[in-house]
Amino acid sequence: MPMDRRANMVRLAPADNVAVALSDIAAGETALDRAELQLTARERIPQGHKIALQPIGMDDPIIRFGMPVGLAKAAIDRGALVHIHNVRSRYLDNEVDHYE
Amino acid sequence: MSDAPAHSMAAIPRIDLGRMRGYPRQDGRKGIRNFLAVAYLVECAHHVARRIAEPFQEQGAQLIGFPGCYPSDYAHRILDAMCTHPNVGAVLLVSLGCEEFRRSDLKDAIARSGRPVELMVIQDRGGTRSTIEEGRAFVAAELMRLKAAPTVPLMLSDLTIGTKCGGSDGLSGITINPAVGHAFDLLVDQGATVMFEETPELIGCEQHMAGRAVTPELGAALIAAVAKADAYHRELGHGSFGGGNIKHGLSTIEEKSVGAYAKSGSRPIVGLLKPGDRPGRPGLHLMDTVNDGPVKLGIPNINDTQTVTEMVASGCQLIVFTTGAGSVVGQAIAPIIKGVSNSRVFQRLSDDIDVNGGTIADGQESIQEVGEHILRKIVALASGEQSRSEALGHQEFALAYKSYEPAGPACFPLG
Repeated sequence: MPMDRRANMVRLAPADNVAVALSDIAAGETALDRAELQLTARERIPQGHKIALQPIGMDDPIIRFGMPVGLAKAAIDRGALVHIHNVRSRYLDNEVDHYE
Repeated sequence: MSDAPAHSMAAIPRIDLGRMRGYPRQDGRKGIRNFLAVAYLVECAHHVARRIAEPFQEQGAQLIGFPGCYPSDYAHRILDAMCTHPNVGAVLLVSLGCEEFRRSDLKDAIARSGRPVELMVIQDRGGTRSTIEEGRAFVAAELMRLKAAPTVPLMLSDLTIGTKCGGSDGLSGITINPAVGHAFDLLVDQGATVMFEETPELIGCEQHMAGRAVTPELGAALIAAVAKADAYHRELGHGSFGGGNIKHGLSTIEEKSVGAYAKSGSRPIVGLLKPGDRPGRPGLHLMDTVNDGPVKLGIPNINDTQTVTEMVASGCQLIVFTTGAGSVVGQAIAPIIKGVSNSRVFQRLSDDIDVNGGTIADGQESIQEVGEHILRKIVALASGEQSRSEALGHQEFALAYKSYEPAGPACFPLG
Protein backbone atom coordinates (compact mmCIF):
# COMPACT_ATOMS: atom_id res chain seq x y z
CA MET A 1 0.00 0.00 0.00
CA PRO A 2 1.34 3.45 -0.80
CA MET A 3 1.63 5.80 2.13
CA ASP A 4 -1.43 7.98 2.65
CA ARG A 5 -1.35 11.13 0.53
CA ARG A 6 -2.15 13.38 3.47
CA ALA A 7 0.61 12.05 5.69
CA ASN A 8 3.59 14.43 5.92
CA MET A 9 5.64 12.29 8.28
CA VAL A 10 6.27 8.59 8.89
CA ARG A 11 7.02 6.65 12.07
CA LEU A 12 9.05 3.68 10.88
CA ALA A 13 8.58 1.39 13.89
CA PRO A 14 6.15 1.44 16.84
CA ALA A 15 8.88 2.08 19.43
CA ASP A 16 10.34 5.10 17.60
CA ASN A 17 10.45 8.40 19.48
CA VAL A 18 11.01 10.34 16.25
CA ALA A 19 9.22 10.47 12.91
CA VAL A 20 10.72 11.48 9.55
CA ALA A 21 9.24 14.34 7.51
CA LEU A 22 8.05 13.15 4.09
CA SER A 23 7.78 16.74 2.91
CA ASP A 24 8.75 20.09 4.42
CA ILE A 25 6.68 20.83 7.54
CA ALA A 26 6.41 24.51 8.57
CA ALA A 27 6.64 25.77 12.16
CA GLY A 28 3.17 25.57 13.71
CA GLU A 29 1.94 23.16 11.02
CA THR A 30 0.23 19.92 11.98
CA ALA A 31 2.42 16.86 11.44
CA LEU A 32 0.53 13.63 10.90
CA ASP A 33 1.31 10.12 9.80
CA ARG A 34 -0.99 7.73 7.92
CA ALA A 35 -2.29 6.25 11.18
CA GLU A 36 -3.34 8.09 14.31
CA LEU A 37 -0.26 10.19 15.14
CA GLN A 38 -0.74 13.93 15.14
CA LEU A 39 1.21 16.79 16.69
CA THR A 40 2.23 20.38 16.06
CA ALA A 41 5.71 21.11 14.69
CA ARG A 42 7.41 23.61 17.05
CA GLU A 43 9.81 24.64 14.30
CA ARG A 44 10.41 23.97 10.62
CA ILE A 45 11.12 20.28 9.87
CA PRO A 46 12.64 19.99 6.37
CA GLN A 47 11.91 16.90 4.26
CA GLY A 48 13.93 13.91 5.46
CA HIS A 49 14.59 15.47 8.89
CA LYS A 50 13.31 14.11 12.21
CA ILE A 51 10.61 15.44 14.54
CA ALA A 52 10.36 14.41 18.22
CA LEU A 53 7.13 12.51 18.89
CA GLN A 54 7.53 12.83 22.65
CA PRO A 55 9.77 14.71 25.10
CA ILE A 56 13.25 13.13 24.97
CA GLY A 57 15.53 13.49 28.01
CA MET A 58 19.21 14.36 27.90
CA ASP A 59 21.29 11.21 27.11
CA ASP A 60 18.18 9.23 26.12
CA PRO A 61 18.47 7.22 22.89
CA ILE A 62 16.95 8.47 19.64
CA ILE A 63 15.02 5.52 18.22
CA ARG A 64 14.38 5.31 14.47
CA PHE A 65 13.28 2.09 12.74
CA GLY A 66 13.38 0.49 16.17
CA MET A 67 17.14 1.00 16.35
CA PRO A 68 19.12 3.50 18.44
CA VAL A 69 20.62 6.02 16.03
CA GLY A 70 22.17 8.42 18.57
CA LEU A 71 21.81 10.00 22.03
CA ALA A 72 20.15 13.29 22.96
CA LYS A 73 22.79 15.80 24.02
CA ALA A 74 20.08 18.15 25.34
CA ALA A 75 16.47 17.77 26.43
CA ILE A 76 14.24 17.74 23.32
CA ASP A 77 10.61 18.93 23.35
CA ARG A 78 7.78 17.11 21.59
CA GLY A 79 7.41 18.60 18.09
CA ALA A 80 11.01 19.86 17.94
CA LEU A 81 13.58 19.24 15.20
CA VAL A 82 15.92 16.37 16.14
CA HIS A 83 19.30 16.86 14.49
CA ILE A 84 23.00 17.42 15.15
CA HIS A 85 22.36 20.39 17.47
CA ASN A 86 20.69 18.05 19.99
CA VAL A 87 21.95 14.56 18.99
CA ARG A 88 25.37 12.92 19.31
CA SER A 89 26.70 9.65 17.91
CA ARG A 90 27.40 6.62 20.10
CA TYR A 91 30.27 5.96 17.74
CA LEU A 92 32.16 8.71 15.98
CA ASP A 93 31.17 12.36 15.75
CA ASN A 94 32.79 14.31 12.99
CA GLU A 95 33.70 17.56 14.72
CA VAL A 96 34.63 19.34 11.53
CA ASP A 97 32.32 19.13 8.56
CA HIS A 98 32.14 21.36 5.59
CA TYR A 99 29.19 21.92 3.35
CA GLU A 100 27.53 24.81 1.63
CA MET B 1 22.40 -19.36 11.66
CA SER B 2 19.37 -21.16 13.06
CA ASP B 3 17.70 -17.96 14.25
CA ALA B 4 18.14 -16.22 10.88
CA PRO B 5 14.82 -14.71 9.83
CA ALA B 6 12.72 -17.09 7.78
CA HIS B 7 11.62 -15.79 4.43
CA SER B 8 9.34 -16.86 1.67
CA MET B 9 10.13 -16.55 -2.01
CA ALA B 10 8.75 -13.28 -3.29
CA ALA B 11 6.73 -13.69 -6.47
CA ILE B 12 8.71 -12.47 -9.45
CA PRO B 13 6.77 -9.69 -11.14
CA ARG B 14 5.87 -10.24 -14.77
CA ILE B 15 9.06 -9.12 -16.46
CA ASP B 16 10.18 -10.33 -19.89
CA LEU B 17 13.66 -11.82 -19.51
CA GLY B 18 13.70 -13.10 -23.08
CA ARG B 19 15.86 -10.37 -24.59
CA MET B 20 18.73 -10.62 -22.10
CA ARG B 21 21.96 -11.51 -23.94
CA GLY B 22 25.47 -12.04 -22.65
CA TYR B 23 28.99 -12.37 -24.00
CA PRO B 24 30.36 -15.78 -22.95
CA ARG B 25 33.88 -15.85 -21.44
CA GLN B 26 36.39 -18.66 -21.10
CA ASP B 27 35.91 -18.84 -17.29
CA GLY B 28 32.16 -19.49 -17.65
CA ARG B 29 31.04 -16.01 -16.72
CA LYS B 30 29.03 -13.84 -19.10
CA GLY B 31 29.31 -10.13 -19.76
CA ILE B 32 26.43 -7.74 -20.38
CA ARG B 33 28.85 -5.48 -22.29
CA ASN B 34 31.79 -6.17 -24.59
CA PHE B 35 34.10 -3.32 -23.67
CA LEU B 36 37.69 -2.70 -24.63
CA ALA B 37 39.65 -1.53 -21.58
CA VAL B 38 42.50 0.93 -22.06
CA ALA B 39 44.47 0.74 -18.79
CA TYR B 40 47.30 3.04 -17.74
CA LEU B 41 49.68 1.50 -15.23
CA VAL B 42 50.96 4.75 -13.66
CA GLU B 43 49.72 8.36 -13.73
CA CYS B 44 52.57 9.24 -16.10
CA ALA B 45 50.86 7.09 -18.77
CA HIS B 46 47.37 8.45 -18.08
CA HIS B 47 47.41 11.20 -20.70
CA VAL B 48 48.55 8.90 -23.49
CA ALA B 49 45.96 6.27 -22.51
CA ARG B 50 43.22 8.92 -22.42
CA ARG B 51 44.15 10.21 -25.86
CA ILE B 52 44.17 6.67 -27.24
CA ALA B 53 40.68 5.96 -25.88
CA GLU B 54 39.14 9.38 -26.56
CA PRO B 55 37.93 8.91 -30.18
CA PHE B 56 36.40 5.52 -29.30
CA GLN B 57 34.67 6.23 -25.99
CA GLU B 58 31.22 6.20 -27.58
CA GLN B 59 32.02 2.82 -29.15
CA GLY B 60 33.05 0.85 -26.08
CA ALA B 61 36.62 1.91 -25.25
CA GLN B 62 36.73 2.41 -21.48
CA LEU B 63 39.58 4.18 -19.67
CA ILE B 64 40.82 2.68 -16.38
CA GLY B 65 44.13 2.68 -14.54
CA PHE B 66 46.21 3.05 -11.40
CA PRO B 67 48.08 6.30 -10.67
CA GLY B 68 50.68 4.95 -8.22
CA CYS B 69 54.32 4.33 -9.08
CA TYR B 70 55.13 2.25 -5.98
CA PRO B 71 54.19 -1.45 -6.02
CA SER B 72 50.74 -2.46 -4.68
CA ASP B 73 49.46 -6.04 -4.54
CA TYR B 74 45.97 -4.62 -3.99
CA ALA B 75 46.02 -2.40 -7.08
CA HIS B 76 47.49 -5.23 -9.16
CA ARG B 77 44.71 -7.53 -8.01
CA ILE B 78 41.99 -4.97 -8.82
CA LEU B 79 43.38 -4.12 -12.28
CA ASP B 80 43.77 -7.83 -13.05
CA ALA B 81 40.14 -8.39 -12.06
CA MET B 82 39.04 -5.43 -14.22
CA CYS B 83 40.95 -6.58 -17.30
CA THR B 84 39.52 -10.13 -16.99
CA HIS B 85 36.04 -8.89 -16.05
CA PRO B 86 33.08 -10.47 -17.90
CA ASN B 87 32.15 -7.08 -19.39
CA VAL B 88 35.63 -6.74 -20.96
CA GLY B 89 36.51 -8.40 -24.26
CA ALA B 90 39.95 -6.97 -25.03
CA VAL B 91 42.62 -4.90 -23.28
CA LEU B 92 45.30 -2.36 -24.11
CA LEU B 93 47.84 -1.75 -21.32
CA VAL B 94 49.74 1.54 -21.42
CA SER B 95 52.93 1.77 -19.38
CA LEU B 96 55.47 4.58 -19.10
CA GLY B 97 58.22 2.00 -18.59
CA CYS B 98 59.96 2.76 -15.29
CA GLU B 99 57.02 2.33 -12.87
CA GLU B 100 57.02 -0.71 -10.58
CA PHE B 101 53.75 -2.23 -11.82
CA ARG B 102 54.30 -5.87 -12.86
CA ARG B 103 53.03 -5.23 -16.37
CA SER B 104 54.19 -8.49 -17.97
CA ASP B 105 52.45 -10.55 -15.26
CA LEU B 106 49.25 -8.62 -15.88
CA LYS B 107 49.53 -9.04 -19.65
CA ASP B 108 50.11 -12.79 -19.27
CA ALA B 109 47.10 -13.18 -16.96
CA ILE B 110 44.87 -11.37 -19.46
CA ALA B 111 46.16 -13.51 -22.33
CA ARG B 112 45.51 -16.68 -20.30
CA SER B 113 41.89 -15.53 -19.83
CA GLY B 114 41.42 -15.79 -23.61
CA ARG B 115 41.29 -12.04 -24.30
CA PRO B 116 43.29 -10.19 -26.94
CA VAL B 117 45.79 -7.95 -25.11
CA GLU B 118 48.52 -5.54 -26.15
CA LEU B 119 51.10 -3.86 -23.92
CA MET B 120 52.55 -0.55 -25.08
CA VAL B 121 55.51 0.93 -23.20
CA ILE B 122 55.77 4.63 -24.01
CA GLN B 123 59.54 4.78 -23.41
CA ASP B 124 60.06 1.97 -25.96
CA ARG B 125 57.66 3.29 -28.59
CA GLY B 126 59.13 6.69 -29.27
CA GLY B 127 56.99 8.74 -26.88
CA THR B 128 53.54 10.25 -26.78
CA ARG B 129 52.69 10.71 -30.45
CA SER B 130 53.70 7.31 -31.76
CA THR B 131 52.16 5.44 -28.79
CA ILE B 132 48.85 7.22 -29.34
CA GLU B 133 48.91 6.33 -33.03
CA GLU B 134 49.75 2.67 -32.45
CA GLY B 135 47.31 2.44 -29.56
CA ARG B 136 44.45 3.84 -31.63
CA ALA B 137 45.17 1.36 -34.43
CA PHE B 138 44.93 -1.52 -31.96
CA VAL B 139 41.73 -0.17 -30.40
CA ALA B 140 40.04 0.42 -33.77
CA ALA B 141 40.81 -3.13 -34.95
CA GLU B 142 39.71 -4.77 -31.70
CA LEU B 143 36.47 -2.79 -31.46
CA MET B 144 35.51 -4.08 -34.93
CA ARG B 145 36.06 -7.62 -33.70
CA LEU B 146 34.19 -7.07 -30.41
CA LYS B 147 31.21 -5.63 -32.24
CA ALA B 148 30.82 -8.87 -34.21
CA ALA B 149 31.18 -11.17 -31.19
CA PRO B 150 28.42 -13.75 -30.66
CA THR B 151 26.05 -13.54 -27.68
CA VAL B 152 24.19 -16.19 -25.68
CA PRO B 153 20.93 -16.05 -23.69
CA LEU B 154 21.32 -14.64 -20.19
CA MET B 155 19.44 -15.58 -17.01
CA LEU B 156 19.11 -13.56 -13.81
CA SER B 157 21.25 -16.28 -12.21
CA ASP B 158 24.09 -15.26 -14.57
CA LEU B 159 24.15 -11.80 -12.99
CA THR B 160 26.29 -10.45 -10.17
CA ILE B 161 24.99 -7.09 -8.97
CA GLY B 162 26.30 -4.68 -6.35
CA THR B 163 24.64 -1.78 -4.57
CA LYS B 164 26.10 1.41 -3.18
CA CYS B 165 24.73 4.67 -1.83
CA GLY B 166 26.28 8.10 -2.18
CA GLY B 167 25.01 11.41 -0.82
CA SER B 168 22.35 9.75 1.36
CA ASP B 169 19.60 11.85 2.90
CA GLY B 170 16.92 11.35 5.52
CA LEU B 171 14.57 9.72 3.02
CA SER B 172 17.10 7.27 1.52
CA GLY B 173 16.47 4.69 4.21
CA ILE B 174 12.69 4.99 3.81
CA THR B 175 12.26 5.09 0.04
CA ILE B 176 14.91 4.12 -2.50
CA ASN B 177 17.13 1.94 -0.26
CA PRO B 178 14.38 -0.47 0.87
CA ALA B 179 13.19 -0.55 -2.76
CA VAL B 180 16.68 -1.76 -3.76
CA GLY B 181 16.40 -4.26 -0.89
CA HIS B 182 13.18 -5.59 -2.41
CA ALA B 183 14.82 -5.87 -5.85
CA PHE B 184 17.73 -7.72 -4.21
CA ASP B 185 15.32 -10.17 -2.56
CA LEU B 186 13.73 -10.87 -5.96
CA LEU B 187 17.17 -11.35 -7.54
CA VAL B 188 18.37 -13.71 -4.79
CA ASP B 189 15.20 -15.78 -5.17
CA GLN B 190 16.04 -16.14 -8.88
CA GLY B 191 19.54 -17.40 -8.13
CA ALA B 192 21.47 -14.18 -8.72
CA THR B 193 24.58 -13.14 -6.80
CA VAL B 194 24.31 -9.76 -5.08
CA MET B 195 26.52 -7.71 -2.78
CA PHE B 196 26.36 -4.65 -0.57
CA GLU B 197 29.39 -2.90 0.90
CA GLU B 198 31.01 -0.23 3.03
CA THR B 199 31.49 -1.62 6.49
CA PRO B 200 32.06 1.95 7.85
CA GLU B 201 28.47 2.72 6.82
CA LEU B 202 27.05 -0.28 8.64
CA ILE B 203 28.25 0.76 12.09
CA GLY B 204 25.41 0.01 14.47
CA CYS B 205 23.85 -2.72 12.27
CA GLU B 206 26.43 -5.42 12.98
CA GLN B 207 24.35 -7.47 15.43
CA HIS B 208 21.36 -7.55 13.11
CA MET B 209 23.58 -8.56 10.18
CA ALA B 210 25.14 -11.34 12.24
CA GLY B 211 21.62 -12.69 12.85
CA ARG B 212 21.22 -13.05 9.06
CA ALA B 213 24.50 -14.91 8.54
CA VAL B 214 24.24 -18.55 7.43
CA THR B 215 26.70 -19.70 10.12
CA PRO B 216 27.71 -18.33 13.56
CA GLU B 217 31.32 -18.11 12.31
CA LEU B 218 30.28 -15.88 9.41
CA GLY B 219 28.18 -13.81 11.85
CA ALA B 220 31.27 -13.28 14.01
CA ALA B 221 33.28 -12.33 10.91
CA LEU B 222 30.63 -9.72 9.94
CA ILE B 223 30.75 -8.20 13.44
CA ALA B 224 34.55 -8.16 13.34
CA ALA B 225 34.56 -6.45 9.93
CA VAL B 226 32.35 -3.61 11.21
CA ALA B 227 34.40 -3.33 14.45
CA LYS B 228 37.52 -3.02 12.28
CA ALA B 229 35.89 -0.22 10.30
CA ASP B 230 34.84 1.61 13.49
CA ALA B 231 38.32 1.33 15.03
CA TYR B 232 40.01 2.36 11.79
CA HIS B 233 37.90 5.49 11.41
CA ARG B 234 38.27 6.45 15.08
CA GLU B 235 42.04 6.34 14.57
CA LEU B 236 41.74 8.38 11.37
CA GLY B 237 39.52 10.89 13.19
CA HIS B 238 36.98 11.07 10.39
CA GLY B 239 34.18 8.67 9.64
CA SER B 240 32.02 7.99 6.64
CA PHE B 241 29.48 10.59 7.67
CA GLY B 242 29.71 14.02 6.22
CA GLY B 243 28.38 17.46 5.60
CA GLY B 244 26.04 16.43 2.80
CA ASN B 245 24.38 13.82 5.02
CA ILE B 246 23.84 16.41 7.79
CA LYS B 247 22.46 18.99 5.38
CA HIS B 248 19.87 16.46 4.24
CA GLY B 249 18.65 15.36 7.67
CA LEU B 250 20.90 12.57 8.94
CA SER B 251 22.28 13.23 12.43
CA THR B 252 24.77 10.40 13.13
CA ILE B 253 26.74 7.67 11.38
CA GLU B 254 24.53 5.03 12.99
CA GLU B 255 21.39 6.70 11.60
CA LYS B 256 23.01 6.76 8.15
CA SER B 257 23.89 3.08 8.62
CA VAL B 258 20.31 1.99 9.34
CA GLY B 259 19.28 3.59 6.04
CA ALA B 260 22.20 2.19 4.05
CA TYR B 261 21.60 -1.30 5.45
CA ALA B 262 18.07 -1.32 3.97
CA LYS B 263 19.65 -1.85 0.52
CA SER B 264 20.62 -5.37 1.53
CA GLY B 265 17.01 -6.59 1.63
CA SER B 266 16.03 -9.46 3.88
CA ARG B 267 17.69 -12.62 2.58
CA PRO B 268 20.40 -14.56 4.48
CA ILE B 269 24.00 -13.34 4.19
CA VAL B 270 26.11 -16.12 2.67
CA GLY B 271 29.60 -14.61 2.48
CA LEU B 272 32.01 -11.80 3.36
CA LEU B 273 34.14 -10.64 0.42
CA LYS B 274 37.31 -8.62 0.17
CA PRO B 275 37.74 -6.52 -2.98
CA GLY B 276 38.50 -8.79 -5.92
CA ASP B 277 37.23 -11.97 -4.21
CA ARG B 278 34.78 -13.73 -6.49
CA PRO B 279 31.63 -15.00 -4.77
CA GLY B 280 31.71 -18.79 -4.94
CA ARG B 281 27.95 -19.20 -4.79
CA PRO B 282 24.77 -17.18 -5.42
CA GLY B 283 23.07 -15.14 -2.72
CA LEU B 284 23.75 -12.01 -0.69
CA HIS B 285 27.32 -11.03 0.24
CA LEU B 286 28.85 -8.19 2.22
CA MET B 287 32.06 -6.56 0.98
CA ASP B 288 34.64 -5.51 3.56
CA THR B 289 35.93 -2.14 2.33
CA VAL B 290 38.47 -1.29 5.06
CA ASN B 291 42.21 -2.08 5.13
CA ASP B 292 43.45 -4.89 7.36
CA GLY B 293 46.06 -4.16 10.02
CA PRO B 294 47.03 -0.83 11.58
CA VAL B 295 45.92 2.45 10.01
CA LYS B 296 48.10 3.02 6.96
CA LEU B 297 47.85 4.36 3.41
CA GLY B 298 45.18 6.87 4.42
CA ILE B 299 41.40 6.93 4.03
CA PRO B 300 40.27 3.42 2.97
CA ASN B 301 38.06 4.49 0.08
CA ILE B 302 38.65 7.99 -1.16
CA ASN B 303 35.23 8.35 -2.82
CA ASP B 304 32.12 6.47 -3.99
CA THR B 305 33.79 5.46 -7.23
CA GLN B 306 36.57 3.51 -5.55
CA THR B 307 34.01 1.49 -3.57
CA VAL B 308 32.03 0.79 -6.73
CA THR B 309 35.25 -0.21 -8.47
CA GLU B 310 35.95 -2.79 -5.72
CA MET B 311 32.55 -4.44 -6.22
CA VAL B 312 33.09 -4.49 -9.97
CA ALA B 313 36.46 -6.17 -9.30
CA SER B 314 34.51 -8.90 -7.49
CA GLY B 315 32.56 -9.57 -10.68
CA CYS B 316 29.55 -7.22 -10.64
CA GLN B 317 28.36 -6.68 -14.21
CA LEU B 318 26.02 -3.93 -13.03
CA ILE B 319 25.70 -1.58 -10.04
CA VAL B 320 22.57 -0.09 -8.45
CA PHE B 321 23.54 3.26 -6.93
CA THR B 322 21.21 5.23 -4.68
CA THR B 323 21.43 8.89 -3.74
CA GLY B 324 19.53 11.56 -1.85
CA ALA B 325 21.52 14.70 -2.62
CA GLY B 326 21.86 13.62 -6.26
CA SER B 327 24.84 11.80 -7.76
CA VAL B 328 25.70 11.72 -11.46
CA VAL B 329 28.43 9.05 -11.52
CA GLY B 330 28.80 6.05 -13.80
CA GLN B 331 31.53 3.41 -13.95
CA ALA B 332 33.98 2.40 -16.64
CA ILE B 333 33.41 -1.38 -16.65
CA ALA B 334 29.96 -1.95 -15.11
CA PRO B 335 26.94 0.21 -16.01
CA ILE B 336 25.32 2.04 -13.10
CA ILE B 337 21.59 2.39 -12.52
CA LYS B 338 20.92 5.38 -10.31
CA GLY B 339 17.94 5.68 -8.00
CA VAL B 340 17.03 8.76 -5.98
CA SER B 341 15.21 9.03 -2.64
CA ASN B 342 13.11 12.14 -3.30
CA SER B 343 11.15 13.68 -6.16
CA ARG B 344 12.70 17.14 -5.72
CA VAL B 345 16.14 15.92 -6.77
CA PHE B 346 14.64 13.60 -9.39
CA GLN B 347 13.09 16.63 -11.08
CA ARG B 348 16.28 18.67 -10.77
CA LEU B 349 18.57 15.91 -12.15
CA SER B 350 16.09 14.00 -14.30
CA ASP B 351 18.64 13.41 -17.10
CA ASP B 352 20.94 11.60 -14.69
CA ILE B 353 18.56 9.47 -12.64
CA ASP B 354 17.08 6.15 -13.81
CA VAL B 355 14.57 5.45 -11.02
CA ASN B 356 12.65 7.84 -8.74
CA GLY B 357 12.03 6.43 -5.25
CA GLY B 358 10.54 9.77 -4.17
CA THR B 359 7.14 8.49 -5.31
CA ILE B 360 7.10 6.40 -2.12
CA ALA B 361 7.32 9.51 0.09
CA ASP B 362 4.82 11.26 -2.17
CA GLY B 363 2.28 8.48 -1.54
CA GLN B 364 2.12 7.44 -5.19
CA GLU B 365 3.96 4.11 -5.21
CA SER B 366 4.91 1.39 -2.75
CA ILE B 367 8.42 0.17 -1.91
CA GLN B 368 7.59 -3.05 -3.80
CA GLU B 369 6.54 -1.17 -6.94
CA VAL B 370 9.74 0.89 -7.01
CA GLY B 371 11.74 -2.30 -6.35
CA GLU B 372 10.12 -3.83 -9.43
CA HIS B 373 11.03 -0.74 -11.49
CA ILE B 374 14.65 -1.32 -10.44
CA LEU B 375 14.48 -4.98 -11.47
CA ARG B 376 12.95 -4.01 -14.83
CA LYS B 377 15.76 -1.52 -15.36
CA ILE B 378 18.34 -4.24 -14.57
CA VAL B 379 16.72 -6.53 -17.15
CA ALA B 380 16.65 -3.69 -19.71
CA LEU B 381 20.36 -3.00 -19.22
CA ALA B 382 21.15 -6.71 -19.56
CA SER B 383 19.15 -6.58 -22.82
CA GLY B 384 21.41 -3.89 -24.26
CA GLU B 385 19.69 -0.67 -23.16
CA GLN B 386 21.99 2.06 -21.83
CA SER B 387 21.62 3.54 -18.36
CA ARG B 388 21.47 7.32 -17.98
CA SER B 389 25.12 7.58 -16.94
CA GLU B 390 26.22 5.38 -19.86
CA ALA B 391 24.27 7.48 -22.34
CA LEU B 392 25.89 10.61 -20.89
CA GLY B 393 29.35 9.10 -21.39
CA HIS B 394 30.27 8.61 -17.73
CA GLN B 395 33.27 6.31 -17.25
CA GLU B 396 34.35 6.96 -13.66
CA PHE B 397 37.16 4.86 -12.26
CA ALA B 398 39.25 5.32 -9.09
CA LEU B 399 41.95 3.23 -7.52
CA ALA B 400 44.23 4.22 -4.63
CA TYR B 401 46.62 2.36 -2.32
CA LYS B 402 45.08 -0.14 0.13
CA SER B 403 46.20 -3.28 1.92
CA TYR B 404 44.34 -6.52 2.69
CA GLU B 405 45.07 -9.93 4.16
CA PRO B 406 43.39 -12.85 2.35
CA ALA B 407 39.85 -13.65 3.58
CA GLY B 408 39.64 -16.37 6.24
CA PRO B 409 37.69 -19.66 6.02
CA ALA B 410 34.73 -18.28 8.03
CA CYS B 411 34.00 -15.83 5.21
CA PHE B 412 32.78 -18.44 2.71
CA PRO B 413 31.08 -21.07 4.87
CA LEU B 414 29.20 -22.69 2.00
CA GLY B 415 32.16 -22.83 -0.35
